[in-house]
Amino acid sequence: MNAPRNLRFYLIASCLALAASLTLAVGVHAQAPATALSVLPDTEATDWTRSLVSIEVTYKALDAFQPWNTPTRAIRKQGVVVAPGEVLTTAQYLPTHTLVRVQKGGRGRWFDARVKWWDAQSNLALLTSEAPDFWKGLQPVELSSEASRGPDFDLVRWRDGNLENRRVEFGQFTVREGVLGFAPHVMLEISTDLTGLGWSEVVAHRGRVLGLTTYSTGRTCGVVPAAFIQRVLDAQRLGKFTGLGYLDFTWQPGSNPELLTELGLAGSPRGAVVHQAGRVKDPAFAPQPRDILLEIDGSPIDIEGDYLDPDFGHLMLENLANRTHFAGDVLPIKLLRGGKEMTVNYRIPRASFAEELVPRETFDRPPAYVVTGGLVFQSLSQPFLRGWGDDWRKYAPLRLQYYQYSDTADGRKSLVVLTGVLPDVFNLGYQDERFIVLDKVNGRTIATLADLVEALGAPEPGADVHRFEFMRGQGLERILLDAPGLDAATARVIQFYGIPAATRL
Amino acid sequence: MRIPRIASIVPIGFNPRAFTFLLLSALCVRAQLLPASSPEQAVVQILTASQTPDFDAPWRFDSVRRSTGTGFVIEGGRILTNAHVIAWAKQILVRRYQDPRLLPARVVYAGHDCDLAIVELLDPKGLEGVSPLTLGELPAVQSTVVTIGYPAGGEQISFTRGVVSRIEMQAYAHPGNRSLLAVQTDAAINPGNSGGPVLQEGKVAGVAFQGIPGLQNAGFFIPPEVVRHFLKDVADGRYDGVPLAGVTLEPLQNPAYRRQLGLADDGRGARVDALRPDGAAMRVLRRDDVVLEVGGLAVGSDGMVLYRGNRVSASVAFQQPQSGEPVRLKIWRDRAELTLDLPMEAYRGDRLAGRSYDTLPRYFVHAGLVFTPLSADYLETVGRPGRDNLWAGLAKLIYELRGRPLEEPATVRAEPIVLATILPHPVNADFSMRGGALVNRINGVRIERLEDVIRALSENQGERHVLEFDGPDQGPLEAINRAAAAAAHTEILRTYAIPSDQRL
Repeated sequence: MNAPRNLRFYLIASCLALAASLTLAVGVHAQAPATALSVLPDTEATDWTRSLVSIEVTYKALDAFQPWNTPTRAIRKQGVVVAPGEVLTTAQYLPTHTLVRVQKGGRGRWFDARVKWWDAQSNLALLTSEAPDFWKGLQPVELSSEASRGPDFDLVRWRDGNLENRRVEFGQFTVREGVLGFAPHVMLEISTDLTGLGWSEVVAHRGRVLGLTTYSTGRTCGVVPAAFIQRVLDAQRLGKFTGLGYLDFTWQPGSNPELLTELGLAGSPRGAVVHQAGRVKDPAFAPQPRDILLEIDGSPIDIEGDYLDPDFGHLMLENLANRTHFAGDVLPIKLLRGGKEMTVNYRIPRASFAEELVPRETFDRPPAYVVTGGLVFQSLSQPFLRGWGDDWRKYAPLRLQYYQYSDTADGRKSLVVLTGVLPDVFNLGYQDERFIVLDKVNGRTIATLADLVEALGAPEPGADVHRFEFMRGQGLERILLDAPGLDAATARVIQFYGIPAATRL
Repeated sequence: MRIPRIASIVPIGFNPRAFTFLLLSALCVRAQLLPASSPEQAVVQILTASQTPDFDAPWRFDSVRRSTGTGFVIEGGRILTNAHVIAWAKQILVRRYQDPRLLPARVVYAGHDCDLAIVELLDPKGLEGVSPLTLGELPAVQSTVVTIGYPAGGEQISFTRGVVSRIEMQAYAHPGNRSLLAVQTDAAINPGNSGGPVLQEGKVAGVAFQGIPGLQNAGFFIPPEVVRHFLKDVADGRYDGVPLAGVTLEPLQNPAYRRQLGLADDGRGARVDALRPDGAAMRVLRRDDVVLEVGGLAVGSDGMVLYRGNRVSASVAFQQPQSGEPVRLKIWRDRAELTLDLPMEAYRGDRLAGRSYDTLPRYFVHAGLVFTPLSADYLETVGRPGRDNLWAGLAKLIYELRGRPLEEPATVRAEPIVLATILPHPVNADFSMRGGALVNRINGVRIERLEDVIRALSENQGERHVLEFDGPDQGPLEAINRAAAAAAHTEILRTYAIPSDQRL
């Protein structure tokens, strides 16, 4: 993604009071201000100045190694009025916002805004403002339902107070994970020489919104297509949006005819091969290793693992989890198992960060931590690993990274890491320990910070120490801390290091 | 022992294509520090033509690489140098001081774990008239030493003087997974100095061997203790290696931990935190034993011993015996002192996790599928993935090589095998797998070592070979027609100029 127009460290003291009055309303249908607005006709003469909105977001960033800190950043992005009292934008930077303001006309006054709804997996958000003056002169635009292939589109944005409207080229429709989530869905890729994209700029065709930009790498810019947006918004407005789903089994292309034959397929090669089951192990309800996926939701699967989408052309089968469904729906999957065709009714799991051993995002709650006796523990998460910077895959401890790709031997669903030690005489001898995964405390298995707190409240009978055991082979395997002195040491450490609270779960 | 975290270290054999350094010689010091017998007569330049195998196409070799190092004549008419100077050598030539001749030589012993080697001239007469250098003692910190060698920047012998900066355990870059005693000096040690003597009062105080890029005025040499250990090891005609204890000692400085173990806060003893599952220490020591003495050296609560006036990691004491000899320990267990002998051994179980030398990689090729052991050398051919989703594959291989033996020893394969690459041919062109994956099973046979690949393929009577990757349970799979694979095999070997389908 390109660098944000970062406003850097806005003075937050005054903003926090404002932020306190703003409510982050996830999935709540707030009443929009009563403003009569009409929908523009299908015309190329759309006056974008009356629909495009600048958005300023001040948000909490993560201090990976001092999670009690709450550094704030500010960025500006774009939005577009899509309904009376509703500004549509991408969800990026909104999950941890402290202040959101909107501006119309590309210049002039900023109005306080409120996040009505956001969803990480679809990367969409709706904003509103309680200020009637903001809505004066604004008009909603239509989201296009067509899957246009251009060849050219318009990219529209506010830039330095002026409306910029530039031509961009159609690239392809593809399926990929969203910028914030991991549920694959259809994306439009456009090609352009423009820089600084990915901030929810509007891509338009014939005066209608074709999508919102969400990332940019080189000459390629990813766009969340309007048809996808519309389906999510419609469901959300009806209270039927259950979240995006995903296929939790793992498959590979069926490009090797010998493999397909070995698995019992007769006739022309088709389908994709499952090689790892998902969470549902019951073969009656989920694909199993060595199954061949023949059809999903009525769409035949080819040997690339693609299906022919009636709107977007050939797309990867993963899109079928969200093309006409959402999480929780039943997806009929016709497959070949042991040489016999059968259909399993697969219930689409909801894409949820909480289901991941190493969650890709944790912004559904403030960064959690436990400081005890100067030892700092956090849950293992990708935001923590990203604390090593843009090149975190190169620099973050490899062992911690590997948990992203593997299950734990004992099946625990999350992990707790000693992320550092705040030196104190109490933890003398351990001051250099860090980045090792906690296994047990006082004999109890630790999967969450809550487990840790609970275990610290129950020392082993007769013991006057707390026993911390770490995963073997990763470095130090055991730490003992004096039990009677622990609370006093913790109080001393957090006071000395200016930590607001010893624990945030 | 835990390997200390340090910056990257490189051996300093001189590859003229890779280095350009200004030569800082110090000829003026000779009169003061060198004996009248002119030790430079015993210092030789070693010119090596070497060729390393291509670890993902193991029948091939990289281009011939020319490098220079230094060596010196020791008792017996042999030349001591660094192992990295002669590693993968195809030809070794020796040039004596102010002698125009190039004298062919061969390797007699190579101790890659301690980065020392002995070479001898094919014609022993080539060293006639040379007085060997004798081994001295570990120099004192702050004392002055002189390095002699043939570093980059010129053709003639070079002398530099410096002081001993510090003495401690250092990671040896050549093996990649060993830490031994090393001496740091501010004497200029540059590419080409490798294997050269570091002299003090006319005796060898060490063998120059590595530097740290970016670190100013810091070169390292191998101390006489390690050299003597090597020479004693090879005295029986075979090199066994530096023994490893297989025990992880951690500092025992925390008052609560000491109290829990019944120890006074007197600075004595380091705690046994972990034991290598297949090591001899596992049979002798227990977790939370406290090691009070090793080989007569008192172990401090910081895990260090006072070794000839230097405070260094206690692992130095475990490296004093030869492989097969015991080291005497005094430990604290169950609130009482106990004396016991720990049999020491040169450990080879982690050889794949370090760099290998002089033994060509094993491989087996069938129908264009190239199988070879997973090793540190192989991983270096993989490089850093450019795409995020490829990191998963690399992370899995690294875990298999370095993580699993420590964390899940019960599931370790003796010799993990990877499908290194696929040589394209119609018989395998439909594979969606492109190589770089751990081989889990072939035709249902779990692959523990390369021979299992051969057995699983040769014993299969089915219509197809089925290959499964990753694991430990399920992973990507491929199939290949057995008869077609057999028919294509010879043609593929010929097409890709593979001299043999296996090296076992």
